[in-house]
Amino acid sequence: MVLHVSSVVMSLGCSMHALCLRKSFSLLLGKFVLQRIASMKKRHFLSGLCVAALAFGSGGMAQAQSYPVKPVRLIVPFPAGGATDLFARTLSQKLGEKMGTTLVVENRPGAGGTLGSDLAAKASPDGYTLLLSTSSTHSIGPNLNPRMPYDAVKDFTPISQVGNAPSIMLVPNSSPAKTVKEWIEYAQKNPGRLNYASSGNGTIVQLTAELFKAQANLFVVHIPYKGTALAIPDLVSGKVDVLFDSLPTGLPHVRDGRLRALGVTSLKATPLAPGVPPIADVLPGYESTTWFGLFGPKGLPPEVVARVNTAANQVLQDPEVIDKLQRFGIEPVGGTPAQFTSMLAKESAKWKKTITERKITLD
Amino acid sequence: MELFDNLALGFGVAFTFQNLIYAFIGCLLGTLIGVLPGVGPVATIAMLLPATYALPPVAALIMLAGIYYGAQYGGSTTAILVNLPGEASSVVTMIDGYQMARKGRAGPALAAAGLGSFFAGCVGTLILAAFAGPLTEVAFKFGPAEYFSLMILGLIGAVVLASGSLIKAVGMIVLGLLMGLIGTDVNSGVARFSFDIPELTDGVGFITIAMGVFGYGEIISNLSKPEEEREVFTAKVTGLMPTAEDFKNMVPAVLRGTFLGSALGILPGGGALLAAFAAYTIEKKTKLKPGEVPFGQGNIRGVASPESANNSASQTSFIPLLTLGIPPNAVMALMVGAMTIHNIQPGPQVMTSNPELFWGLIASMWIGNAMLIILNLPLIGIWIKLLTVPYRWLFPAIVLFCAIGVYSTNNNTWDIWMVAMFGVVGYTFIKLGMEPAPLLLGFILGPMMEENLRRAMLLSRGDWSVFVTRPLSAGLLAAAVLLLVIVALPSIKSKREEAFVEE
Amino acid sequence: MNIKSQKDFFSGLFYTVAGSAFAYGATNYTVGTGARMGPGYFPLLLGILLALIGAFVMFKALTVETQDGDKIGSWAWKPLLFIISGNVLFGILLGGLPSLGVPAMGLIAAILGTTLVVSLAGDTFKLKEVLVLATILSIGSYGAFVLLLKLQFPVWPTFITG
Repeated sequence: MVLHVSSVVMSLGCSMHALCLRKSFSLLLGKFVLQRIASMKKRHFLSGLCVAALAFGSGGMAQAQSYPVKPVRLIVPFPAGGATDLFARTLSQKLGEKMGTTLVVENRPGAGGTLGSDLAAKASPDGYTLLLSTSSTHSIGPNLNPRMPYDAVKDFTPISQVGNAPSIMLVPNSSPAKTVKEWIEYAQKNPGRLNYASSGNGTIVQLTAELFKAQANLFVVHIPYKGTALAIPDLVSGKVDVLFDSLPTGLPHVRDGRLRALGVTSLKATPLAPGVPPIADVLPGYESTTWFGLFGPKGLPPEVVARVNTAANQVLQDPEVIDKLQRFGIEPVGGTPAQFTSMLAKESAKWKKTITERKITLD
Repeated sequence: MELFDNLALGFGVAFTFQNLIYAFIGCLLGTLIGVLPGVGPVATIAMLLPATYALPPVAALIMLAGIYYGAQYGGSTTAILVNLPGEASSVVTMIDGYQMARKGRAGPALAAAGLGSFFAGCVGTLILAAFAGPLTEVAFKFGPAEYFSLMILGLIGAVVLASGSLIKAVGMIVLGLLMGLIGTDVNSGVARFSFDIPELTDGVGFITIAMGVFGYGEIISNLSKPEEEREVFTAKVTGLMPTAEDFKNMVPAVLRGTFLGSALGILPGGGALLAAFAAYTIEKKTKLKPGEVPFGQGNIRGVASPESANNSASQTSFIPLLTLGIPPNAVMALMVGAMTIHNIQPGPQVMTSNPELFWGLIASMWIGNAMLIILNLPLIGIWIKLLTVPYRWLFPAIVLFCAIGVYSTNNNTWDIWMVAMFGVVGYTFIKLGMEPAPLLLGFILGPMMEENLRRAMLLSRGDWSVFVTRPLSAGLLAAAVLLLVIVALPSIKSKREEAFVEE
Repeated sequence: MNIKSQKDFFSGLFYTVAGSAFAYGATNYTVGTGARMGPGYFPLLLGILLALIGAFVMFKALTVETQDGDKIGSWAWKPLLFIISGNVLFGILLGGLPSLGVPAMGLIAAILGTTLVVSLAGDTFKLKEVLVLATILSIGSYGAFVLLLKLQFPVWPTFITG
């Protein structure tokens, strides 16, 4: 009995001493364990295992100088199937190829994206943990929630912006307005009687609407839902009067003729929604887009940043990737880390202004 | 008739060798996921999504649909065999299913679940094929007020889920409602009862509660009884298939469940969950034939009916997806993503612009159901063998799968601490005679109820009468009151009888 | 105090305590009015309801006669302890405790540790059997979860994978 226990412990201990195990070792271990169960030749097993362990362990000892040498995990702080997740998965395969490794998407949802972002912020800055995130975690969240577990500016190294997604202004077919201008007039004649839907308090959908209300000086009541998809039936039947939805969720309903699109929230007209004018035509300077970007934890070495940034920019020029992203309603946007950083600062300032002016709080 | 032409087209598409292989792979994977508690189809489908980019759209969707159904079939298997509900809808199957397993009737239970699901799936698919358009109009009539009234109806029905003390069951429901409120409030964005723990801002997970309360609680309770007293899986397993008597009892149950499930599945956002609960409630209220096992102790109708409701609801829940593009749950949301990648926008124009896809998908639903019944019926024999494994080997495996399953929902060890806590709570419930099933229903319905209540009030600008002035809502509330009377009446009657006897 | 039904009495107590706790917590949030309900409205309402139900159940437990006093019976401390600590151990081994500096040991180690501890909850404990079981479960889990379903688990200890 004692011999059993000690031999198992010793063989485990032997394997623990091998540094930088590779996958093949685990298969070998498995084979050895099965052998062990089959034949009780403890001594042979033990020595064989140690030899194998040392043989494998000695190779690949020190970390190679060139990055990356092993798979990189890409954290997505939202549940599987959402826009950010689908974006990450579309990107990950080609990005991994360009970087010379595999990119593994890891979903860490929760708390509106802050859980996953926090995890990425506290990871070690060796370039093997990256984050794909969006405006809610870095531009809106920090200005809304006084108790963020991370500092959106200090705890991250911005690597590159990767995409931009405008929203679209949707009204029911029964609405009397056919253009943005008409809708504003309609709302001004009915202060407090109209409703707008959103995917929740503090989300980009709500803030987009609030920005609109601020610039057009309107009083429209906020009706939150657990996601814009659930608001659609109420919008179609006219119980709510307007929704600033993301392009991919909103556009199909327009194509089916169930809803009317009055405007897009990008500064200029976008090829993703042909024929729909930008709201900025009526409200000068009105812009609200959701950005997507790649981050690393703070203190990421510049070579790593450069490597990932170059790879990302290359992938974003790939026509297949562009096509897939556009179907999601996302415009691929690349750029340098510096451009990303300045964009982040601008966005954060803009939403901060809207949040304080409109007194939007988490109740 | 046009319908048959379309179906023929669909079957032609779906019956190609390649598509059949993909359907099979999907069903197999789905069953595996469903059987492993906690490991959900969402994660797997997300994982496999990029792999499907290269496939032709019909094949990709067929495979993903196979995973979806497979997971449901697999989920009922674990619910029946080891008292672990893999998803919300399996909770109801578990109530009588597990009891049947303990009495050595696991085979008939599994068969009932499978056959009922298959029948309901076929009917649901037919309804989907024939009536998709007009049925979406019904969905539009449902606003927040109607949803709220429906939930009230569901909750009153939940009281029927319990076999013991009525007032304690109500207490469990309210407790469940309260637990469901933990987390971020939709309407205000405030994180309620979260104690500043970020993991709690999204509330407690359903899987976490289910694993802890049902899984661990049951195991601890079993281990506390000396070996002879344990009713776990008596060695005498009587037959794999239901008896003729079973079939006679099952058929009306399956029909009722199918009808109810098809109706409720159409409602976007939560109708399908209610289906299983509602079906069980209705079944329980029908008279017991002489010689039938009472509900809660292994009545086969208590397995067949919710399973049928469940399956037909998941078929008809495709309707809002295909016609409005509204996914009824997370899995469907992924399917929408998959369709988008393949340049298909789900909506009515799919029927006209991409008929091979639409009808191919419908045909594949039927094929998926058929494949699963073919896969699962022989598997019943294997599952039964599994039950004969000595308990001392079985229960560590169950504990392990619970822990792994719970971890895999969010890749966060926090969930493992939570499930441990709920294990203690679950055991406490068993010791105190508090039934957990009503708690789970309250947990699911609570947040939806509150959300709809507040939204209805927001839209009506504070007018309470909206619940009775809107006809559909008023009708549902009236039904709720009626149900309340029916439920309370027996206990009032018995009290009166007691009073008379004493005099 | 003549408790006629132990089970019901303590159930009622549970309800009352839980209900009051929720109701108290609800007052931390804006309650609002019926027309404009704040986040605290519904929880407060339900919490009070639960507390009342609890009080009613406790009252019943003190007054309504039962056959045998509905005793709760002894608590199964051994299984409870081992199952729960086995579960907790799983979490510690799988993910580590970053705040205390315990490194993540990975899935395989977690399965081994948990199987060992949890098996102690049973009546019989044969080490050889348990180790075999643990090995089978490890291999099976690795195959099913990591290889087949491609779930993201830390499989090996962090100081090995780096």
